[in-house]
Amino acid sequence: MGRGNNKATIEPMPVDLLKEPLVWFFAEHYRHRDVCKRLLDLAGSVKFDETVLLEIEHFLEVDMPLHIIDEEDDLFPLLRRRCEADDQIEKVLGMLSGEHASDMHDANALVALIKKALSDKRGLAGYADTEKVVPPFCQSQKRHIAVENAVVLPIARLRLTEGDLQSLGQRLAARRGLPDPFVVAS
Amino acid sequence: MIEQLLDNNMQWASARVRSDPKFFQRLAAQQSPEYLWIGCSDSRVPANEIVGLDPGELFVHRNVANLAPPRDVNFLSVLQYSVEVLKVRHIIVCGHYGCGGIRAALDLERRGLIDHWLQPVADLAHQHADHLNAITDFDTRVNTACEHNVRAQVEYVGRNPFVTDAWRRGQKLAVHGWIYSIRDGLIRNLDYSVSRMKDVDALSRRPWFPDA
Repeated sequence: MGRGNNKATIEPMPVDLLKEPLVWFFAEHYRHRDVCKRLLDLAGSVKFDETVLLEIEHFLEVDMPLHIIDEEDDLFPLLRRRCEADDQIEKVLGMLSGEHASDMHDANALVALIKKALSDKRGLAGYADTEKVVPPFCQSQKRHIAVENAVVLPIARLRLTEGDLQSLGQRLAARRGLPDPFVVAS
Repeated sequence: MIEQLLDNNMQWASARVRSDPKFFQRLAAQQSPEYLWIGCSDSRVPANEIVGLDPGELFVHRNVANLAPPRDVNFLSVLQYSVEVLKVRHIIVCGHYGCGGIRAALDLERRGLIDHWLQPVADLAHQHADHLNAITDFDTRVNTACEHNVRAQVEYVGRNPFVTDAWRRGQKLAVHGWIYSIRDGLIRNLDYSVSRMKDVDALSRRPWFPDA
């Protein structure tokens, strides 16, 4: 494939993990890192790879905004309600929320770049903006995900109740138009 | 065009009758909703629709920022009628993330009359200013205040004499605090439900922030 990654497409959404929402978040973060890796590969290549560009565009326009809602309107408010003073969670959540706001702004710039490449049928390395947009976005994403994996999700594992996790998993599914993961299909 | 609304209404009523010929006959005979909804006026939070209830199933009171002000005659009339006449079983206070009323109460800009309406929210924010201001992202601060406002309204309703009298009479009645996200159409139960005076006292004792 000429890229560092062997697979042609990015990882599919881990729908089978919706019953374990915190594992789902880890898996989604893995997908984010996968997307960043592919973006960096594309940024260094003049080869036009329509399939991957379309997938990344879809990820940035659909999956990433949903993931931010998963966290901003679900996981983080739950943590704010459940955490104890010693967890000192607010500083981390505040920083991550601020980053989510700028993530969407940066993602829009990235989508504009990808749309241009798709329309011109050119590789990303052919654009002057690529260096300004892609590496900073990927670096920021990787650091952001590292904090969430190392701090937020372990605390969530400790503080969220069974009921919290079930309702969280149900909302993750509903937000994506998927059936309730806790109902066994008859 | 305003005429469009009348056309829409005609089509809605006609479709209803086609799917259920006695729908309006039943509705006209009585209303016996089990739920009172106290929600925000925001046009993006249509009460019946988001909980999948038909006309007649939800008694609705909406105002800016879903307040339950103990001196608002409109609200008090709705509360008394729903508790004493309709005998609703559940009162739902439902706020929503990104509420413009809550945002207005927090951003300190002067807007006129609405500032007076939102004074209870501003007071609540002032009461928790140290903690709220520690939330650096303003949108997140607004969302946290939206949740706190729901809790405050649940407590107001739970201490309202119409509600406490109902409990004293042995009437089954619970007050719930929910929050809705316009971004995904989903409601979150904030676990503020109370169904007797002891529950209200317990809710009032709960810290508002982890280190409060």
